[in-house]
Amino acid sequence: MIRWFGTSLAATVLMTACVTINVYFPAAEAKEAAKDFVENVIGDAAGGTQSTPLPSPGGSTSLRPSSREFNWLALVGIGTAYAQERADFSIQTPAIAAIQSRMEQRFQAQLRSGFDAGALGLTNNGMVEVRDPSKLALKDRVAITQTVADDNRDRKAVYREIAVANGHPEWEGQIRSTFAQQWIASARSGWWYQDAGGSWKQK
Amino acid sequence: MLPAMLRRILTLLLLAVLAPAQAGSLTARIAQVTTPVATLHGVTVELQWPAGAASGQLTLSARQVTATDLGYRFDNLSWRCPLQRGTGDGGWLCAGELRSPGHPPMVLNVDLATATTDATLSRGDAVLALSRNAASPDLTRLDLTRVPLAWSQALLDKAWPAASLNGGTLSGRLSIETATQRPLRVTGRLSVSGLALDTQDGSTAAEGVGAQFDLDYRSSKGLALLTLDGDLRGGEILAGSAYVALPPSPVAISLAARRQGSSGWKIPQFSWDDRDALRVEGALGFGVDASLREADLRLDAHDLAPVRARYLSGWLGLFGLGELQLNGAMQAHLVLDDGAMAHADAELHDVSLIDAQQRFRLEGLSGKPSFSASTAQSSSMSWRRGALQGLEFGGASLPLRSEAGNLGLVQAVSIPMLGGQLRFDGLNLRPPADGRGMEFDLSVTVEQVDIGQVSAALAWPAFRGQLDGRIPMVRYANDRLDFEGTLTAQMFDGTVMVSDLAMERPFGTAPTLSADIVLDDLSLQSLTEVLGFGQITGALDGSIRQLRMVDWSPQSFDAEFHTDPAWNGRQRISQRAVQDISNVGGGQGGLGESLQAQALQLFEDFGYRKIGISCRLAEEVCDMDGLSSAGNSFSIVQGSGLPHLSVVGFNRRVDWPTLVERLVDITKGDSVPVIE
Repeated sequence: MIRWFGTSLAATVLMTACVTINVYFPAAEAKEAAKDFVENVIGDAAGGTQSTPLPSPGGSTSLRPSSREFNWLALVGIGTAYAQERADFSIQTPAIAAIQSRMEQRFQAQLRSGFDAGALGLTNNGMVEVRDPSKLALKDRVAITQTVADDNRDRKAVYREIAVANGHPEWEGQIRSTFAQQWIASARSGWWYQDAGGSWKQK
Repeated sequence: MLPAMLRRILTLLLLAVLAPAQAGSLTARIAQVTTPVATLHGVTVELQWPAGAASGQLTLSARQVTATDLGYRFDNLSWRCPLQRGTGDGGWLCAGELRSPGHPPMVLNVDLATATTDATLSRGDAVLALSRNAASPDLTRLDLTRVPLAWSQALLDKAWPAASLNGGTLSGRLSIETATQRPLRVTGRLSVSGLALDTQDGSTAAEGVGAQFDLDYRSSKGLALLTLDGDLRGGEILAGSAYVALPPSPVAISLAARRQGSSGWKIPQFSWDDRDALRVEGALGFGVDASLREADLRLDAHDLAPVRARYLSGWLGLFGLGELQLNGAMQAHLVLDDGAMAHADAELHDVSLIDAQQRFRLEGLSGKPSFSASTAQSSSMSWRRGALQGLEFGGASLPLRSEAGNLGLVQAVSIPMLGGQLRFDGLNLRPPADGRGMEFDLSVTVEQVDIGQVSAALAWPAFRGQLDGRIPMVRYANDRLDFEGTLTAQMFDGTVMVSDLAMERPFGTAPTLSADIVLDDLSLQSLTEVLGFGQITGALDGSIRQLRMVDWSPQSFDAEFHTDPAWNGRQRISQRAVQDISNVGGGQGGLGESLQAQALQLFEDFGYRKIGISCRLAEEVCDMDGLSSAGNSFSIVQGSGLPHLSVVGFNRRVDWPTLVERLVDITKGDSVPVIE
């Protein structure tokens, strides 16, 4: 009896487990989203910093309520949200967009030159590391170490918030590694990155 | 080294060449010449002296010159110079270029008198002058004038192989004792300007450092001793995360260091005196890789104001606190054992910490907090007042106890806050260690905090009420703050209960807050009055489940509000409130342009049976619903009596930013609808 009970309990647990882990991570969509995000932050290699903020749903739909007339139709209008399909993977929240634009500014103002000089590297876990500070003047070294710490805090928040925004906090790790690959894929030639084994390579 | 050897060889050569009064040429080949400082291999000395000439041509070359103690090595060194009689009796002079492949040529000027030997080595305005006296054969004097520090790279390589000297000059005088059977000893006074140093990994560096000091260095087999005494004059130093921007005023330093064999340097005596800003005394120990392993330091800062910019900006910057404003005075004692903090205590005198971004402020810190990685220690600390995210709190005195790397409260402590108080029953804090960030847990009771003051501090509408509750456990780890228990706010004659509170990155980027909120029996009359939302009488129940805010703005929630059917009183809704609700719901209220609507406009308020509205926020879109729904419409207000009113919403998917904009307009009273 106990044995039977144990077996069926195990089976139940197994079945439950099957159900729980059967969550599909939209790898292709995540990759596409990561590419958009990363390319936006890194910007145009030719020097022109392109700044295309992510379209935020509804942000552009606000109808100015008429101040002259009490227009019920306009009130109906305020509600008209973007008639978008519910995407499998979304990184479009104001918080993420705010962090992204901060990261873009930081990248253009400070980090890019560090990557160009070979002082910074992209790690295999989606972060930035000061891999060779000797490439920088001492004063810049102090500043860049702080900038890198700031950027890594933002990166961590982005990976987490994207996972949560998609309703799957447990995807954080997968999102992080998707981004890690994308940062490296989008890196310009000459920049350093860390391979899967943790050793530094130059692109 | 070279002159001493030269003297011996020259004497031999000159005897041979100059004996007959005729032109002569002689070459000497010597396999090895050993002097106390340097060894020369494959030496060739050639002297040509035309008959009757006033000078001859001396050419000296060596396949290799090594000065093992000093770390120098030159290959294929050659020196050519016109040799002539010196001014004194029996002396010789020779000045010419010294060349070695891979090194820029220098001028070597040698003056061999009977009793003295003088040599100067120069390049540009850098001059290294050496003098020896036959009376003291073991002593060599060196006079340095703007000698590039790079010339002493080989010497540095011996002490610190990873470091390279990239700039700076050295002036001063050194005496070098090279007696056999006694250690090599270098003493003197040097001044350094514009020192630039860097290690291979860039972790330690210096730039523009000026210094003046007395030096005593002794080296024998397996033991090196160094004492330095002097001051530093400006420049910047980077060591790991520590960045020191030296002030223009001199900082007195003194140290005695020793190194046994190839182990790391030990500095049993160290002192640093930057007057009021920072005085440090103690001992340091470095590993073979030049990392700091042991330390026992006593620090004294009379005025913390300059300390951040001079000493702490590197560390604080890593935590995003680079602009932290520090005031007050403190003394501290730090003990580092095998690279980890073993003990720390401080004596604080009216210290203030003020975040540049106004996230927190703590004023009037005093007391003697202490931290122990091993045995228990009691201590205490107090502050006068502070603020966290704009919420002010009063002073408190904390009795503390530290043991095995934890810091905790000995007994409950109350902190006055916004009309009430927070009582901390327990607190345990673990500073960052072993790659883990800071962690803490605490339990707190909130008593009679005035919601009016909270609202004012956070620029909310003028809510009134009182917040109470007990959070038996608040845990902070991995950048996440979790609260167990429920906070209860008595407001608007009802209660608001907040549970499952959690924050991510509370001190970092885009802090998040999640919570479940339940509202019970709030007086709609008070609520609408405060919100400037027309006027409704009745009681409100509802909930905001799975609320998640990022950067203090809602990102998702599942909210539902409805009037409490159990409320027994008159349920009335004013015309203004009807319009406001219609606005929020994006619905079409009972007021239109129809005749019926115009008739309704004659009434100040209406009776209602039920009001209900819900919103599920996700991806910037609020999915709305009401009391009942049919198709795309949902009922928000169900009227009662005559005139019979009903408000119906027709648009379920509402754009959240627009909705918020409208709500703000309504509560500010900006949106006064014009009814014609």
